[in-house]
Amino acid sequence: MTTAAETQTAPVQVSPEVKAIHRRMLRRHRLTRALTYLVGILISLWVLIPILFITSMALTTPAEVRAYPKGILPFIPLSMETMQFFLSSRGILPGLRNSVIVAVITLVLSTLIAAPAGYALSRFIFRGKDIFRLSILAVRAFPIVILSIPLAVVFLRTGIYDSVYSLALMHTALALPTTILVLASVFSSIPYELEEAAMVFGSSPLQAFRYVVLPLVLPGIAASAIFTFVLSWNEVFAATILTIQNRTLPAQVLVTLNQSSEPYQFAGGFFMMIPALIFIFYIRRYLFNMWGQISK
Amino acid sequence: MTTATKAKGQRNINWAPYILILPSFIYLILFFGWPMIQGLILAVREERALLTLRTDAERNSPAVGQLPRGTQVDILGQQGNQIPPEEAGQDNLLTEVWFQVRAESSDGQPLEGWTPERRIRVRESNANGAPIAGTVRSILSSSADPLTSVYAEADEGSDVVGKLEARAPVEILGQATLEVWFQVKGQNGSETIEGWMPARYLNVLGDGSRGRIEEGDTSQFTTKYIQSMVNDRFFWPALRTTLLLIVLIIPAQFVLAIIMALVIQADLKGSGLFLYVFSIALGVSDLAVGILWYSIFTQSGYLNSILQGLGLIDAPIIYLSADTRYWILIAIWLAEMWRATAIVMVIVVAGMQAISREVLEAAEVFGATLWQRIRYVILPLLRPSLQVALILRTILAFQVFAVVIVMSGGDIITVLANETYRQYYELRNFNVAAAYASFILLLSMITSMFYLRAVRTQEEVAE
Repeated sequence: MTTAAETQTAPVQVSPEVKAIHRRMLRRHRLTRALTYLVGILISLWVLIPILFITSMALTTPAEVRAYPKGILPFIPLSMETMQFFLSSRGILPGLRNSVIVAVITLVLSTLIAAPAGYALSRFIFRGKDIFRLSILAVRAFPIVILSIPLAVVFLRTGIYDSVYSLALMHTALALPTTILVLASVFSSIPYELEEAAMVFGSSPLQAFRYVVLPLVLPGIAASAIFTFVLSWNEVFAATILTIQNRTLPAQVLVTLNQSSEPYQFAGGFFMMIPALIFIFYIRRYLFNMWGQISK
Repeated sequence: MTTATKAKGQRNINWAPYILILPSFIYLILFFGWPMIQGLILAVREERALLTLRTDAERNSPAVGQLPRGTQVDILGQQGNQIPPEEAGQDNLLTEVWFQVRAESSDGQPLEGWTPERRIRVRESNANGAPIAGTVRSILSSSADPLTSVYAEADEGSDVVGKLEARAPVEILGQATLEVWFQVKGQNGSETIEGWMPARYLNVLGDGSRGRIEEGDTSQFTTKYIQSMVNDRFFWPALRTTLLLIVLIIPAQFVLAIIMALVIQADLKGSGLFLYVFSIALGVSDLAVGILWYSIFTQSGYLNSILQGLGLIDAPIIYLSADTRYWILIAIWLAEMWRATAIVMVIVVAGMQAISREVLEAAEVFGATLWQRIRYVILPLLRPSLQVALILRTILAFQVFAVVIVMSGGDIITVLANETYRQYYELRNFNVAAAYASFILLLSMITSMFYLRAVRTQEEVAE
C-alpha cells in the first residue's frame, strides 16, 4: 500500500509532510473501502441466508422439511413436492387468483387516479397545494389497522363485504398517497421545457403530454405500478378482515396457519416472497425516487 | 422540484390543477376520511342503545321517556298502526292485517269499515289469492263483547261505525298491513316509564304479558367499549409488548439502516447489487417474514440444526413456547429487523443523496475520521430524513401483526394490532375492535407529535 502511494506522488516535488499526509489518507481510504466491502457482504449474508433457508425448505420433499437436523439447499434433495402440496391445498389456487385480481385492480385504479394528481403537483403552483401534499403525507402515515375495521363495518352494511372488488377499493386507498407522491417525482424529473418546446412547435398541451412526456415517464409509472402490485400482494391485515369466502393468498395462509403443517407454511412463505425477489430487482433504481419524495 | 406555471401573467384562476387532483381527493375522502371518522364513532357510540316510549301509538306523538336496551317491561296493551311506506319491506316487523269490509250490521244497517283480520274467517279468494269474502268469527270468551266492532279507519283509536254479529257474511274490499305497537311499562333506573313502542323493538316473552327491549331507536355516547378494551385481560400485555418491541427495534434498526446507507453511498463497485440485496425485504410481506424466521426458530428448525451440527447442543431446544417468551421476543425482534430496516435505509439514502459531496470531501480533507464525519456532518444534515423515517417506522411498528401471530399463535405474546384482529375476527366485537384501532391511532399521533417537537427543540437549542 505504501509503495503505491509513493510511486504516485514521486514525480512532483513535495515536502515530506504533505507526502506523509497523502500516504496516510490513501491508506485510510483503502482500509475504509475494504471495511465497507466487509460490512456490505456481512449485511448481504444477513439478508440472504434466511432466504436461502426458506428456499431450500420450499424446494424439497415434505419428509425432508420435517427431518431434523436439517440440511441446507445444495445438500438436500431438490423436489417440487412441497410446493405442489402447498399449491394443491384447499383455497390456495382461488386465493392466488383473488390476490392477482385485487392487485391488478389496485394498480390500475391507483395509477389512473394518482397520475393526474401527480402531474398537477409537479407542474402547477396553486393555492392549497401544500395542504394537499401534507394531507397526502398524513394519509400515507395512517395505519392500515385503523382503516380496516370501520371499512369492514361499512362494507357489511352496504352489502359489498367479502368481495375482491371492495378489497381492491381499500388497497387503492392505501396505495394512493404513495403513488401520487412517486408519480409527482417522476413527472418532475421530466423538464417542463420539453413540453413547452413541443407546444411552441404547434402541438396542443394534450399532444405534448401524449407524445413527449408520456413516453419518458412510462418506465417510472411502470415502477410505481409494480410497487403498488407488491403492496397489495403483501397486504394481510385488511385482506383478512374484509373477506371470508374470497380470501387472498396471504389471508388464506394466515387464517389456516394454526391448523397447517410446516411444509405448507414454509412453501407458502417462499411463494409469497417470489414477487418481491423479482420485482424489487427491476424497480431498485426508482426506490429513492419513491421514498426520497416522502422526506421532502 | 421543478415547477412551472402555465397561468403566468393571467389574473383568473387556473382550474386545471384542481380538476387534476379532484379524483384522488374524492377517493381519499370516500375511502379514507369517511371510514376514519366512522371508526372513531364506532368506538364511542352505542348504536340503538335507547328506545323512546311515546304517549300514543303514534310515531309523531310526544316522547314519554327512554328505556335502555335489555330492559324487561310489562305489556299493557296492543294496537295496530300505519307503517311508513319506506319501512314496509323490513322483515323484523310484527304486523297485523286489517280488512276493509262491507256487511250488514247487527242492527240491520248496511255497513262499510275496517276490522282486524283476526276477527274474520276468509271463505273465498280471487285468482291472485286476495281474499274477497268471509264470515265474522265468534268470540268465545264470555266476558268480552260478543259483537265485532267495525272502525272508520284501520286503527283501533278511530270511531266505531258499527258492530257485526258472529258468523255474519262479509264482503272484503281491501286490506291494510299495520305494525303492532305495544303499550309497555318498564324501569329506567329508579324511574318507571309507561308508554307506547313499535313491536319490532320488543322480544315478547312467555304468555305475552312481558317482554324485553331488543334494541333501541336512538344511539348514545358510551365509554363501555373503551372500558371493555382496557379491562380485557390481553390489553395491558399487548400494550406493554408493543411498546417494548418499539423500544427494542427502532434504535437498532436506525443504526443498521445508516450503516447500510453508508455502504451503498460509498461508491463501491457492485453497489447496485448491494442496493438490490438490501432492499429485497422492502417487498416481502410481514407474514412471509414471520414464516421465514419461524423456519429458523421452530423446534426442528435451522437454529437447532446448526447448533447440533456444531455439537453445541444434544437435543433440540424449544424456543417458541409459553415458558420461553423471551425467545419469542428475540425471534420477533430479528424478523422485524430483517424486514423493516430496508424502508428506513431507503429514506436515509435518499436523504444522503441530497447532501453535497463537497461538504463530505471537505470534512475528509480536514482529517475527520469516519466516525467524526458521521457524527458531525452526516447525521445533522440527515435530520429531516431521519425524522420522517422515525415517524413512519414507529407508526408501522404499532401495526406489527402477522409476525407475532406466526411466532406465538397470537396468544402467548400479543400486540395491539393482534388484539384488534382478535376482537373483530374471533369475538366479532366490532366496537371494541374500533376502540383498539382508535387507540393505535392516538398512540401514533402522540409519538409523531413527540418526534416533531423533539427535533424542533434541538434546532432551537442549536440556535
